[in-house]
Amino acid sequence: MPFDPHFIARLIPALLEGAAVTVELAALTMAICLVWGLLVALAQELRGPLGWIAGGYIQLVRNTPLLIQLYLVYFGFSMAGFGLSGFASGLLALCAQNGGYVAEIYRGGLQSVSVRQFEAGRALGMRRWTLYTTVILPQVVARVIPPLTNQSISIIKDTSQVAAIAVMEIMKITEVWVETSANTYDVFLGAALIYLALTSIAGLVGKLTERRLAFAQ
Amino acid sequence: MKEFGPLIHSLWYLLRGAGMTVLMATSAALPATILGVLLSLLHVFGGRLLRSAILGYLFLIRGIPLLVLLTFVYYLMPLTGIDLPPFWGVVVVISLYYAAFISEVFRAGILSLPQAQWDAARSLGMTRGLLLQIVILPQALRLAAPPYVSLCVSLVKATSLVSIVGLWELTMASREVVERTLAPFQIFIGAAVIYFCICYTLALYGRHLERRVLLGH
Amino acid sequence: MEGTLNDASSSAIELAATQQRPMLEIAGLRKRFGTVEVLRDVSLAVSPGEVVVVIGPSGSGKTTLLRCTNLLEEYERGTIMIDGEPIGYRIDGRSGRRSRMSEREIARARERIGMVFQSFNLFPHMNVLQNIVAAPIRVKRIERRQAEARARELLAMVGLSDKAAEHPIRLSGGQQQRVAIARALAMDPKIMLFDEITSALDPELVGEVLAAMQQLASDGMTMVVVTHEMSFARDIADRIVFMDGGVIVEEGKPDQLLFAPQTERVRAFLRRYNDRYRI
Repeated sequence: MPFDPHFIARLIPALLEGAAVTVELAALTMAICLVWGLLVALAQELRGPLGWIAGGYIQLVRNTPLLIQLYLVYFGFSMAGFGLSGFASGLLALCAQNGGYVAEIYRGGLQSVSVRQFEAGRALGMRRWTLYTTVILPQVVARVIPPLTNQSISIIKDTSQVAAIAVMEIMKITEVWVETSANTYDVFLGAALIYLALTSIAGLVGKLTERRLAFAQ
Repeated sequence: MKEFGPLIHSLWYLLRGAGMTVLMATSAALPATILGVLLSLLHVFGGRLLRSAILGYLFLIRGIPLLVLLTFVYYLMPLTGIDLPPFWGVVVVISLYYAAFISEVFRAGILSLPQAQWDAARSLGMTRGLLLQIVILPQALRLAAPPYVSLCVSLVKATSLVSIVGLWELTMASREVVERTLAPFQIFIGAAVIYFCICYTLALYGRHLERRVLLGH
Repeated sequence: MEGTLNDASSSAIELAATQQRPMLEIAGLRKRFGTVEVLRDVSLAVSPGEVVVVIGPSGSGKTTLLRCTNLLEEYERGTIMIDGEPIGYRIDGRSGRRSRMSEREIARARERIGMVFQSFNLFPHMNVLQNIVAAPIRVKRIERRQAEARARELLAMVGLSDKAAEHPIRLSGGQQQRVAIARALAMDPKIMLFDEITSALDPELVGEVLAAMQQLASDGMTMVVVTHEMSFARDIADRIVFMDGGVIVEEGKPDQLLFAPQTERVRAFLRRYNDRYRI
């Protein structure tokens, strides 16, 4: 493992630039999915055709690989005329897939709040709005944080796949640097460390949020 | 956009790719499962040193994208001089990756059993080995089966990543066809449908198992 | 401790009877959970065929005492003997030091003790018959046919002959506990321990379980029962032991302890109990 300080000095900023793209992509995906996933989850609760479509959408994105979705958006759309950049395609595909997972997380959280809570609230004479906001939602939020934290970690790792459509995030930069230099180990080590750092931070943020919200109750 | 001719022509080629996908996934899933169950037992019953090692391993797997590991091994293989065919190289990486997740799923299964099961078995004079064999593990495996099947679905989807390091399976096959026919939309949709068929079948089996677990316990 | 019969005088016979080796001998048991002393210097001797009922407020250490007996819990000091043989720890005759028995020895010793728990007793992935024969076949290496025959005998004894092929989930709580009793008996124990086995049951199912225990007692089984059911305690016990704060506060014959207790703590406990139920 040749430890070349000059090389490291040039490598780190490049990897960090990639990390910035990774973080941007992951953060945007998470933010969008929190809302989009909620919409899908709510749509699923409805009886009519919308419920079916929502359910079908979730099954579709959960049972097809992210990579295929990426290729479909990137190459498919450009052939159809409205070409999206690598970043935009990546964002769209990531949101499409993770939106489905987040919707399932919301559904699980809602279902896990026992029916008794509903009954107890109604027995106390609460109206629907109060019941939901003061009793149900806080519990759902508490239960939903851990799986959402896991999902955010998963999203960070999934961003590596957009390297396949030439987005300059960590994985792509790693690839480029490995091709053009002999220090394979150092480059991969750097990439691994950055990913570990990012996922660990995401995990910590999740834990802190959990604790904060537990206090609020 | 409605001309699915190219897809029909290449369908057989894609299906062969799917065959390779299934072969790869199965070849990785078997060792991953064996290793995962072993790791879960070591994690629950092992000494401090062993548990720390396993926790370290889980941390790495949880934090580093599979693609990074695959690419790393791809570049590393020629350097170490180990003469392994690329197929087995990626199978090993995928196995080691999913063994970590499988071990956590089984560990959760073991730990979720009530203490009274251990107590009852021990008070009947069973040694640890025997009670693991006939009381704990049968129940833990049943409990862990549904999430395990989910991991298998994830594993099948993950095989798509090997196309990025140049191995041939369904995703690579579809890329080749797209390059030839310039019909990304149809071809990638076709590939998605094929993946869907494989994964959704597994997912349905998982849901069937989940219902059985709920009834039986 | 063998007694010696010198002559046929009744007092000598009585003396001999009480000097018969105890089935269970707990001496100087001490256990702490962290900083809390859950058992402080507890000693108890149970004669063969005797039924001892342990009562007391929650947290008094009754369940811990039971669990220590077959070493489901570790303890810092004290020894326990089953029919003269130690379980858990041995005292070296010469040095007086305590040494832990091996896991294998402890498992063998546990075969002589049957225990029934408050809940989740049965193995849900096996049916009733398999539950009962699992240990005899795998631990005692008894032949399957023999084990199954004995299992059916025991099922008949607890009144569940027709449930042999059922899975626990299809049985009521009372039925499950009766199967648990049969399963423990299948190992041919010398003493049976019952840890509040009716506490988690719906009231109407309690009676059938108590009846099974009553049957066992009349058949001469040595039993230590932790329970809240005072009237049952009065009916079944040869001796009642009252525990509080990790010590045995008082013990005596049922009528004596329940109706004329000597210590205030017992009186207070029974008063609270009487206010809610009439014994």
